[in-house]
Amino acid sequence: MMESITFHGDFSVKQEALTKLRSHIAAGTFRYSPAWSEEGADAIGCIVEADDAQRYSEMLGYPLALATALSSIVNAFRPLEKATQYAEAWLEQTPIGADLSKVVSQVLVEVLDEPSVVALTVQQPDVEHSRRSVMALHRRVVDGDAPDRAEWKAIRRAAVAASDMVMDKNLLRSAGAIVEAAAWPASMRTVLHDVLGARGGLEVKQLFDEIGWTDEKESQVYRIREVAETTGQFDGLNGLDRVLALLDADHPELAKGFRQRLEQFEKLGEAIRVVGFRIIELFKQAPVAAEAR
Amino acid sequence: MRNVTEQDFDEVVLNNAKPVLVDFWAPWCAPCKALAPTLDELANEYAEEIEVVKIDIDENPALAGRFGVRGIPLLMIVKDGTECARTVGTISRSRLDAFIESNVGGE
Repeated sequence: MMESITFHGDFSVKQEALTKLRSHIAAGTFRYSPAWSEEGADAIGCIVEADDAQRYSEMLGYPLALATALSSIVNAFRPLEKATQYAEAWLEQTPIGADLSKVVSQVLVEVLDEPSVVALTVQQPDVEHSRRSVMALHRRVVDGDAPDRAEWKAIRRAAVAASDMVMDKNLLRSAGAIVEAAAWPASMRTVLHDVLGARGGLEVKQLFDEIGWTDEKESQVYRIREVAETTGQFDGLNGLDRVLALLDADHPELAKGFRQRLEQFEKLGEAIRVVGFRIIELFKQAPVAAEAR
Repeated sequence: MRNVTEQDFDEVVLNNAKPVLVDFWAPWCAPCKALAPTLDELANEYAEEIEVVKIDIDENPALAGRFGVRGIPLLMIVKDGTECARTVGTISRSRLDAFIESNVGGE
């Protein structure tokens, strides 16, 4: 595995990156997205002035999978002030000269071992077996081993096959998607991004499940909104105001559930934020491979 | 990953000795953009077994019409000059890997 030495061991590289980020924050041009535009930049764009995670990775010495996942992690922090604090902490708390080459596998193991994920995977022996197999490969990477392509392929096939066997359990299927997404070497640039996406997908389902909000209800609201487009009902209102007016008028029970759904939506992102903070902790614990100069 | 056009499609895709994974995409398509890094890496992962090419449907509308492309991203596998499988819409890396495996086979 290619070594990832933060800031190439150079104090000035870190300082320059922090200065660029802070100047965007001070100017009010730090954004969630796009990565780089005339109006502003996200955590990647602030540093490399482009939508280019690879360049960020090369400039600052973070593994490509971490750089690729950074924007989606920052995106989980709301409002923007929290996002800027996280983006700043990411750089600020990364030691100079640290070897981060194991961090992605460490994070993937932790996500796969989250109690709320395990509580689901244990419901289906094949999915649970896959979860353990994927974790075992990543643990070998953390211990300095390099599982070969055939091993990754075999557990990946098993993970997909196990998820396919889950027919009617929505949450378990989402947990299976996390296992599938993690069944790649940490050197793959989108592996962490994909796992966090799948973890976010499970979080959405878990939050909606708590209040009994289903895909069918979601579709029902969508259809009501579509029909209103043709009939012109409440066309003086826009966006959510219109949806709520439509539901209040003809579907009061659905309206109640939809309001709860909106409240639940406010909670979204916690699973990713937890991972985000753990990543920074792992940065701080990473072995220092080069003396800072 | 190679860009293919109406001019060289037959030569690069239909007459290719290897199976070809064709990605129909457009610059304005956000899911296509999201899929691009995964395809890049899968092109490397399967470099021995398949060729992966991209077709911009805005630049090559005749190819989109010829293959009945009604939604993108559309991924199509062509083997021995014949389409053998397609999938439309966003797809996870592992599902895409399984799609390639089941239609091409690997080591």
